[in-house]
Amino acid sequence: MNTGQVISGVAHTGLVAFAIFGGAFQAEPLPFRVTEVTAISAEEYAALVAPEASPEAVANVDTPEPPQEGESAPEVNTEADAAPELETPEVAETPPPDPVPEVTEPEPAPEAEVSDEPPVLDPPDEEVAVLVPEQAEEAQAEDAPRVAPEPVAQPEPDVAIDEVEREEVEPDAQAEEVAPDEEATSPEEATTEIVTEADQEAAAAPTRSLRPQTRPDRPEPAAEPEETTEEPAQTETAQTEDEPDTSAAVNDALAEALGTNEGAADTAPQGPPLTAGEKDALRVSVQRCWNVGSLSTDALQTTVVVSVNMSEDARPVSSSIRMLSSSGGSNASAEQAFQAARRAILRCGASGFDLPADKYASWREIEMTFNPERMRIK
Amino acid sequence: MMKHVLTLLSAILFGLAAPVAAQERDGPLRIEITEGVIEPLPYAVPVFVADTAAAAQHAQNITQVIAADLSGTGLFREIPDSAHIGRITNFASPVQFPDWKAINAQALIVGGVSVDGAGRLTVRFRLYDVFAGQEIGQGLQLQGTVDGWRRMAHKVADQVYARLTGEDAYFDSRVVFVAESGPKDNRQKRLAIMDYDGANLSYLTDASSIVLAPRFSPGDNQVLYTSYESGFPKIYVLDVASAGRRVLETQQGTMSFAPRFAPDGRTVVFSLTSGGNTDLYTMDIGSGRTSRLTSAPSIETAPSFSPDGSRIVFESDRSGLPQLYVMPSSGGEAQRISFGQGRYGTPVWSPRGDLIAFTKQSKGRFHIGVMRTDGSEERLLTASFLDEGPTWAPNGRVIMFTRESQGAQGQARLYSVDITGRNLRKVPLDIGASDPSWSGLQK
Repeated sequence: MNTGQVISGVAHTGLVAFAIFGGAFQAEPLPFRVTEVTAISAEEYAALVAPEASPEAVANVDTPEPPQEGESAPEVNTEADAAPELETPEVAETPPPDPVPEVTEPEPAPEAEVSDEPPVLDPPDEEVAVLVPEQAEEAQAEDAPRVAPEPVAQPEPDVAIDEVEREEVEPDAQAEEVAPDEEATSPEEATTEIVTEADQEAAAAPTRSLRPQTRPDRPEPAAEPEETTEEPAQTETAQTEDEPDTSAAVNDALAEALGTNEGAADTAPQGPPLTAGEKDALRVSVQRCWNVGSLSTDALQTTVVVSVNMSEDARPVSSSIRMLSSSGGSNASAEQAFQAARRAILRCGASGFDLPADKYASWREIEMTFNPERMRIK
Repeated sequence: MMKHVLTLLSAILFGLAAPVAAQERDGPLRIEITEGVIEPLPYAVPVFVADTAAAAQHAQNITQVIAADLSGTGLFREIPDSAHIGRITNFASPVQFPDWKAINAQALIVGGVSVDGAGRLTVRFRLYDVFAGQEIGQGLQLQGTVDGWRRMAHKVADQVYARLTGEDAYFDSRVVFVAESGPKDNRQKRLAIMDYDGANLSYLTDASSIVLAPRFSPGDNQVLYTSYESGFPKIYVLDVASAGRRVLETQQGTMSFAPRFAPDGRTVVFSLTSGGNTDLYTMDIGSGRTSRLTSAPSIETAPSFSPDGSRIVFESDRSGLPQLYVMPSSGGEAQRISFGQGRYGTPVWSPRGDLIAFTKQSKGRFHIGVMRTDGSEERLLTASFLDEGPTWAPNGRVIMFTRESQGAQGQARLYSVDITGRNLRKVPLDIGASDPSWSGLQK
């Protein structure tokens, strides 16, 4: 037999025995209350509950004896009591009469010294107003400074701030007359932020932030100058081969369509189209001079599209600046907006815009849309 | 078949695309400018050329007033004489624009002054756009008496302002106000009138009784005001030219105040307190007939007509706190327009009709603000210990108001501010002043 089975059998047997004899199955008695009682007989019970007999009344009551007549009455003393001795009060002496006061006529009251002039009073202390401390205003978000987008083009050289805008003059060894050296100066630029007094008093915490600006438009598809120049040639060739008689008419039509710029177009440097950075640089240089501070509120609601022809040295041709269209305002406000736009083009273009000369065909004519939406009073 | 269809489709697409591509290639360069700068426009106004020796002083004075008017707006910046390269010695000579471009003058004002034997003053001027090299508008000539030289200077400045900004002008205007003197607990008040820039001050009443809230009539020849002359506040009408006045009688035992003319000049709207209740009434000045506009147990006061006379904005505490309401000018249901935190009062409708100026008390400070007539786009322009009582310039671009400083020695002064909140300026006046009312542009 296996030893394990033996151990198991013994252990189980012991456990069963303990359960049976060890009281594991004996339930504990429920708690109860014990009350003692006593058995008595019927006679005892009747005796206990029977009413007690009333006490017997006593018929003979002892009466007190009347007093006897022979007894003597008490003696009555008729003598009056002696009067008590009274002390006679001493008569006080009459005091001497008060001396009669001397009656004199009262002197008239001295007249009050009254002068018409009011007394000079010290000036009262300066009234001190109890000021309720100003409650700190709730922290509010402050406008994020409006920052004009920086040009992608190369940064400008530092210039001194001055009322007068001057170009830097450097000595030119080849010049006959040597101009004196002058440092380049430029007027200080103003902020585009509108800060009212109410805003200035606000807490330092930012009050709100501007909506993120819309993504700038994608650059327009690049023009391909080569094709532009080749197209007329191809057309001409084809026409020469097929219908030689019509070539002159086509040339005339082209000349008419191109107008006076035809010559410039023919001779203009072509080159690749303007890059996005070059266009941004032009935009920033114009908006730096676009001053809307003196515009009327109506003109600030007006968007104008202005056309300008450029000379090859990147200066705007003053007489070519014209308004193509306007929207959002009256004719008068459009005229004001156009004047501000023209001033911007002429001022900042006076010394020539920073445009690549080899791409003149791309910027020979420029249409600028001046949209003051972001410059309005918020 | 399918091949043919595809070929045809390709040809059509190519035919459509080719002209577009060509147009893009040949079209002008297009850019959009959306950010500019806000700065005063630099201008030059060399001293006007005096045709005669007698006119020299006038030429000097007139030039100074023109420059003060323009620079005072905050929209223009004068380039001082010392920076000028070019000299104007003859009004009729052509302008050398490069000289003025060099000093970055964007506008140039050239003028001449002469005085004839009869004492008549003649002022001529021209305005130029320097960078465009052309004249803006046409030359103008003004004539008047020598004594009226200031008004003529204001007229020139008005023309320049209007041509450069496109706004209506406001320099040739006057302000009626309450002149104050003495300490706060014993302050003497009287009506006074001055040019918008503080010049030509004169008094309309004496200091024997307290006067309040003067208001110009639409033609600027009369002034409504409230006086405590009889012990109770009563409304008076004063003729500016003769200083004669008369009381607007209301029924006995009532108090009337806060008057303002309707745009027709014949009707007055005001507050009347009777039996402890204050409501709005109108009165026909000619007949004295009154009609009641409101009948609420709350306090209705500070009424102001819209420029077209169709509506009235006023102040009422019917919601618990003073707020602004708009109702038809004949009375009727009022629409609440102010919903910000704080108390709103003294609303005034802009002469343009687009905005309402008001006083706001919030968090222990006073503000002058503007909002649209429907209550939207509220903007606070100022903040101080005590700002109140706004009044509009004739062009609706500038607001004048009272600012009182703190303490027993605090003084009330007049200030002006642009509706953009820029260019806060103290009106150059040596005396205490409050409760201004701006006239229209003088004829």
